[in-house]
Amino acid sequence: MTTRDKIDDLRRRRERVLQGGGEARIEKQHQAGKHTARERLGLLLDEGSFVEIDAFVETRGTDFGMQEKKIAGDGVVTGYGTVDGRLVFVSSQDFTVIGGSLGEMHAKKITKAMDMAMKMGAPFISINDSGGARIEEGIDALGGFGEIFRRNTLASGVIPQISVIMGPCAGGAVYSPAITDFVFMVEKTSHMFITGPSVIKAVTGEDVTFEALGGAGAHSTVSGVAHFASPDEEACFNKIKKLLSFLPDNNLSDPEIILSGDDVNRMDEELNGIIPDDPNKPYDMLSIITSVVDNGDFLQVHEGFARNIIVGFGRIGGRTVGIVANQPRILAGVLDVDASDKAARFVRFCDAFNIPLVTFTDVPGYLPGVQQEHSGIIRHGAKLLYAISEATVPKINVIIRKAYGGAYIAMNSKHLGADMVLAWPTAEIAVMGPDGAANIIFKREIANAEDPISFRKEKIQEYRDKFSNPYIAAARGYVDDVIEPAETRQRIAGALDMLSGKRETRPPKKHGNIPV
Amino acid sequence: MRRFVVNVNGNRYEVDVEEVGAFAQAAPAVNAASFPAAAPKTAEPPVVSAAPASARQDEPAPASQAAHSGAKGAFQITAPMPGTILDIRVNVGDFVTKGTVIAILEAMKMENEILAPQDAIIASINVSRNQQVNSGDIIITYN
Repeated sequence: MTTRDKIDDLRRRRERVLQGGGEARIEKQHQAGKHTARERLGLLLDEGSFVEIDAFVETRGTDFGMQEKKIAGDGVVTGYGTVDGRLVFVSSQDFTVIGGSLGEMHAKKITKAMDMAMKMGAPFISINDSGGARIEEGIDALGGFGEIFRRNTLASGVIPQISVIMGPCAGGAVYSPAITDFVFMVEKTSHMFITGPSVIKAVTGEDVTFEALGGAGAHSTVSGVAHFASPDEEACFNKIKKLLSFLPDNNLSDPEIILSGDDVNRMDEELNGIIPDDPNKPYDMLSIITSVVDNGDFLQVHEGFARNIIVGFGRIGGRTVGIVANQPRILAGVLDVDASDKAARFVRFCDAFNIPLVTFTDVPGYLPGVQQEHSGIIRHGAKLLYAISEATVPKINVIIRKAYGGAYIAMNSKHLGADMVLAWPTAEIAVMGPDGAANIIFKREIANAEDPISFRKEKIQEYRDKFSNPYIAAARGYVDDVIEPAETRQRIAGALDMLSGKRETRPPKKHGNIPV
Repeated sequence: MRRFVVNVNGNRYEVDVEEVGAFAQAAPAVNAASFPAAAPKTAEPPVVSAAPASARQDEPAPASQAAHSGAKGAFQITAPMPGTILDIRVNVGDFVTKGTVIAILEAMKMENEILAPQDAIIASINVSRNQQVNSGDIIITYN
């Protein structure tokens, strides 16, 4: 073989790898509204930036005819590239090669890319489109999953990890996405479940479709497994790029400062009129958030799940902030099991990656009811208290209106270590709402009154006048300042500046024990 | 004269109901133009319990049964949490677009808007004003 022959041989081998499962299977993938593994990397990464590793890895399996089925690359494309010029590591499962099934070497390719991402301190993005474990490789395939889960866990809080579901992701495969920070799904083409509709039918007799059981809709609204749902793959990749723009590369770096030209001293007079005079009337918390962040640019995480609390990323003065806000329009903005889980996980992500927290509080309390109590609102609600207390990033709270009882404490109060608590003059900070409080404090007097109804009303008003305001809390220093709504952006920006050098340490320990 | 849309066995009927006095059973005058002539005779007669909004307002909360108006629709909107129905903003037969306010549920000292999850024709209203509801109780059904 001459050198020329050897170079030609390399080219032929490379060409073979690039073809994946071949024309027919690629065509089938396209007909299903899906891109191939390599096309997806093209959509995600900056043009021409992708560098493949392990292109020539193939299966070592010999049972059940694996040697005949094997194709170099083993059903997954791995490597690195850039997104908006920043290094990321990627794996992209190739459904056209042995159904994208995960065998021993397939898993080894993924874990190698993960190890590199950890060493280099760069985000890891895993695109899932796989039939699951490769049964022919038995326990070696199963072990591969375990190797991935362990690395997901070790990388958690060190580098941002993003899972993108663009096809089936079933059985054990779901647990890698579940451990990662953000899960993206595409409507109609992606599914996640532990057991599929046929097994469910056989075991419990329930009839359910793939989409209703584990589609993007179900997981982004009901289960909360998916953080983002997109109508198609292009929209999904655009959202991933948007998310990455807010995140640092790793836990030792800060998110990039991107100046927008939006003046941090911008006043918004509209905010002075946003709160209805009647405390029982809702308003849209989103309009406060979009007024405060640079150019109104806010990326909601978990937009369709537990909508009574809003979490997401924006920038103020070019700096990324993580925002947590009660939404009075949905379920009165109560904290329930799902809202507590959603907020707690988001707070912990922000804390791990040096993203300051800004909370907007308008919360009537925890949701009462047998169903909530039996679902463990005590256990789940505690996660939010824990996550906020544990966080050492700058913590700013703006109390917009209601801040009652235990929910007041949970929503980034001074008592849990908030660095700056601002209140609007509309704030009502108290142990409970005026109606309930008057009923308890004046129980006997109301019962003995000549006209209990009007006496009760009188007492409610008395309580409201005395306690439903921010000044009792401000008099004790639980609120640092009462501000005009219009100046909210300026005041938060100022506080972020002041807090940019914040250092707070925690007692050394292996790790805490959050009530999961 | 009030116009309702009633769905019976999947057939959609436009029904004009004339109010002759509170609690009187209104005679449904079926609009013949909106369906093939023979159909209504074989189908179950449209059930209209004839309690238009004006009649309901005269009657306070206790008669919550009277609140059920219209035939059951294919989909339902249920109360997301326990509370009191302050207002019902739609009538049986209304066509509403996604996001329209269906009712106001006061819960946790807040007037919560119950919104239409999708474009819908209101098939029945299962609650009345000032009625207490539990989480999961049906507020309206729609098609």
